[in-house]
Amino acid sequence: MWAKTITGNFASVIHGLNTNHLTDVVIQRSKRMILDTLGVGLLGTSTEVCQKVKQYSKIYSSDISSTIWGHLDFRLPPLYAAFVNGVAVHSMDFDDTWHPATHPSGAVLPAVMALSEAFSQKKKISGLDLLLAFNVGIEVQGRLLRFSSEARNIPKRFHPPTVVGTMGSAAACAKLLALNKMKCKNTLAIAASYAGAPLANAATQTKPLHIGNAAKHGLEAACLASQGLQGNNQILDMESGIGAFYTDYNPQILPTLQSYPWLLDQQDVAIKRFPAHLGTHWVADAASSVRRKLVKNSDNLLLLDKIEKVIVKVPEVKYVNRPSPNSEHEARHSFQFVACSALLDGSMSIQSFASENIHRPALQELLCKTQLEHPSDNKPSFESLYCEVTVVLQDGNTISDRCDTFYGHWRKPLTKEDLEEKFQSNASEVLPPEAIEGIIETVYNLEKVEDCSVLNMFLSGQSARVLPEKLHFEHSNS
Amino acid sequence: MLQFSFASFIHAVRPEHLSKIVRHRSKRMILDSIGVGLVGSTTHVFDIALKYCLLYSSVAVSNVYGKPGVKLSPTLAAFTNGVATHSMDFDDTWHPATHPSGAVLPALLAASQMLPPNSKPNGLDFLLAFNVGLEVQGRLMHFSTEAHNIPKRFHPPSVVGTMGSAAATAKLLSLSMTQCTHALGIAASLAGAPMANAATQAKPLHIGNATRLGFEAALLAARGMEANPFILDDISGCSGFSAFYSIYQPRPLSTSSECHEFLLEKQDIAFKRFPAHLGMHWVVDAALSVRNLFINYAGSFSPSLIRTIVLKIPVSKYINRPFPNSEHEARHSFQFNACTALLDGEVGLSSFTEGSIHRQELRELLHKVVVEHPEDNVANFDKMYGEVAVLLKSGDVLTGKCDTFYGHWRKPLSRESLLKKFRSNASHVLPEEKVETIITMVDNLENLSDSSHLACSL
Repeated sequence: MWAKTITGNFASVIHGLNTNHLTDVVIQRSKRMILDTLGVGLLGTSTEVCQKVKQYSKIYSSDISSTIWGHLDFRLPPLYAAFVNGVAVHSMDFDDTWHPATHPSGAVLPAVMALSEAFSQKKKISGLDLLLAFNVGIEVQGRLLRFSSEARNIPKRFHPPTVVGTMGSAAACAKLLALNKMKCKNTLAIAASYAGAPLANAATQTKPLHIGNAAKHGLEAACLASQGLQGNNQILDMESGIGAFYTDYNPQILPTLQSYPWLLDQQDVAIKRFPAHLGTHWVADAASSVRRKLVKNSDNLLLLDKIEKVIVKVPEVKYVNRPSPNSEHEARHSFQFVACSALLDGSMSIQSFASENIHRPALQELLCKTQLEHPSDNKPSFESLYCEVTVVLQDGNTISDRCDTFYGHWRKPLTKEDLEEKFQSNASEVLPPEAIEGIIETVYNLEKVEDCSVLNMFLSGQSARVLPEKLHFEHSNS
Repeated sequence: MLQFSFASFIHAVRPEHLSKIVRHRSKRMILDSIGVGLVGSTTHVFDIALKYCLLYSSVAVSNVYGKPGVKLSPTLAAFTNGVATHSMDFDDTWHPATHPSGAVLPALLAASQMLPPNSKPNGLDFLLAFNVGLEVQGRLMHFSTEAHNIPKRFHPPSVVGTMGSAAATAKLLSLSMTQCTHALGIAASLAGAPMANAATQAKPLHIGNATRLGFEAALLAARGMEANPFILDDISGCSGFSAFYSIYQPRPLSTSSECHEFLLEKQDIAFKRFPAHLGMHWVVDAALSVRNLFINYAGSFSPSLIRTIVLKIPVSKYINRPFPNSEHEARHSFQFNACTALLDGEVGLSSFTEGSIHRQELRELLHKVVVEHPEDNVANFDKMYGEVAVLLKSGDVLTGKCDTFYGHWRKPLSRESLLKKFRSNASHVLPEEKVETIITMVDNLENLSDSSHLACSL
């Protein structure tokens, strides 16, 4: 009866997946994603956009409350905690990216973490429960993305996190709330009516809200379904359902629960090394390597006036084509900016997007000499794109390099050390060292953690010394 | 630059720009919307929404329809009241198609209570903000020829309603022009729900969320949040508001500061006489006239004499339901509404109860219905018609056709009818004195010194 519709089938799977279905690869990859997302979120709490949403959300304080990452001084209701933390995660475009394209973790993690605190008196949520719910949220996103061939390329119309991210958050929360199949179906139906934001707000301060809202609205959908609200129980089947967001839409049923093949098992995420659109990561690697060649030939000095032209070969992606960005948001979405920045500095970092660096004269000058080219074999897909940077010197010489796979891409994943280093660097902006260590250790051992509220405590800045009894792992006789 | 012209309009328009007709029409809409919201507060979907919002009730300053002791935070009050307004599909409909008032009024009511005592907007400010919300919705719908017909992909209130709410609250809160621009940009990222949830219990959330999220967009813009200032333009390769349409041809609003012709001046609204999708109103009026013929013919309405009932209706999948199972489906079923009208001689609130939906005689009658889609019957609220033909076993045929139902903008409800609807709705949850107070307040809205009194009286 349930599997006759795609929607029913999804509800069935969301309901039926349990911790035994989690494979080692999935556990390992998703813990990496969790760690990275937390770090990126913690760093993001200091951004201007995050300040604004925090101010706004404070209108809604109430008795039930959840942690705001990096803050011991105030808490918010789960809905707004999910919103604020979600905004933090995407505030600098530093969060993970998947294929087909979306930012999967930011839409899900803030919601499940906020929700996990809403139970506290009634029941404990274990690390494994959290890990399972998280993965349900990721899986649903991945499956939905495969229903449309449009989704395989970098988007043009709707920003994917707002479409599939909302659905993923909803599914994850439904899982954590242990809703029955019927309510899981309704969760999906209700969430669809919150989904979908246009791409044009990318490269603006509003973009981070896309992830914040995905998390928040998915959570809300699950809560409303939990209260009995019903929607269309063929929401995934119909063209006028989730199909409304795509021009071609071919939904499929999910595999059976028997040794469930998680998408994360087959397809890892990309983790960013600097806070900018994923497409710019190819550009940074190519440009850095061109610079190394350039300075080798001239005693480690980059002779800017000798540069005549900079040609950057990338796929055609209009919203990342910005010859002279004015704000940090625009700079993070500019092939040209990253090429010039990497040429000037040798590598990209958080600092590359500071206002003084965006507006420095040397960079502006180089930008004027920069142009993009779109070779027809360079497809706008994170699976297959490449970048070639060519610097043409005044004497006619050219120095070129090409990047097919940047370090951090799923084909060349960050090492454990580098992932941790990114997390340390991010988290240390707002948390003390003991809390940072506490998070790393808790996430690495997540499947053994009995009560995941310890994670939230660290996130609010409390240190391990304060809560020895909370750091209780199952099977601690390892 | 479009957004600039919209923001400019929102920011600069003054009460003096409201013509008499616009004031008159919009006050009717406000009254009807409140009544519909009040009766909507008795629904199950409303209960769920309220229970949910009560979790977050700390800065609870805004009233909830029909619940005098209860207050919620402003955006959640807007949400809840929006859900109430659309809970029974009893709220107003415009052309091009959307439900304009429910997306705007709840936010304004909630916002009026949020503002501090020394800066409460007066009734005229309120009326102006309301009209700004309507106007923006209307103008946006004119950007796409798709919007002229009954929708198929995105539910219009969730698209333009959110934008209208953002504009209206931006106006009420006196945001600067820049802030108005950004309110529209932020709102676009909160717009758009698919049609598939129409005819389900989740549909009322579309209006609830439109009014609430537009309000949130304005609040965020007020705090300095910035969005894309070209969100209304047609940018190829990176969709803005155009994402919700396949054909999109935007145009700037006139920036003349002397006069602005509001769309409401030229195009009035339709008020529903019973709580169902607007399309049902045509077939019901046609069915009622057939029923009268039947009674003249046979002395009484006897279903056993009927062989077939033919409905001639436009093509629109989500309102073509031969055997609806829930109240939500029944409100979106040509077949159901036609048969109810034939059987009972009227369609009203009680037509959609569980008992009414599942009664034997109605189900039997439904089995006799066939639908036809004449080519000239366009799925468009300005052009469609409803025709009912009852083929009797004797061979005789009784037909009725309705081009313009009573309540449509071409045949507007009289003041008496509108008040009758309001009183009937409001008295479900409010005592008589309060009902009359609201009527008087809305009638004299321009003279009200503190518009938050309207919200307080709910």
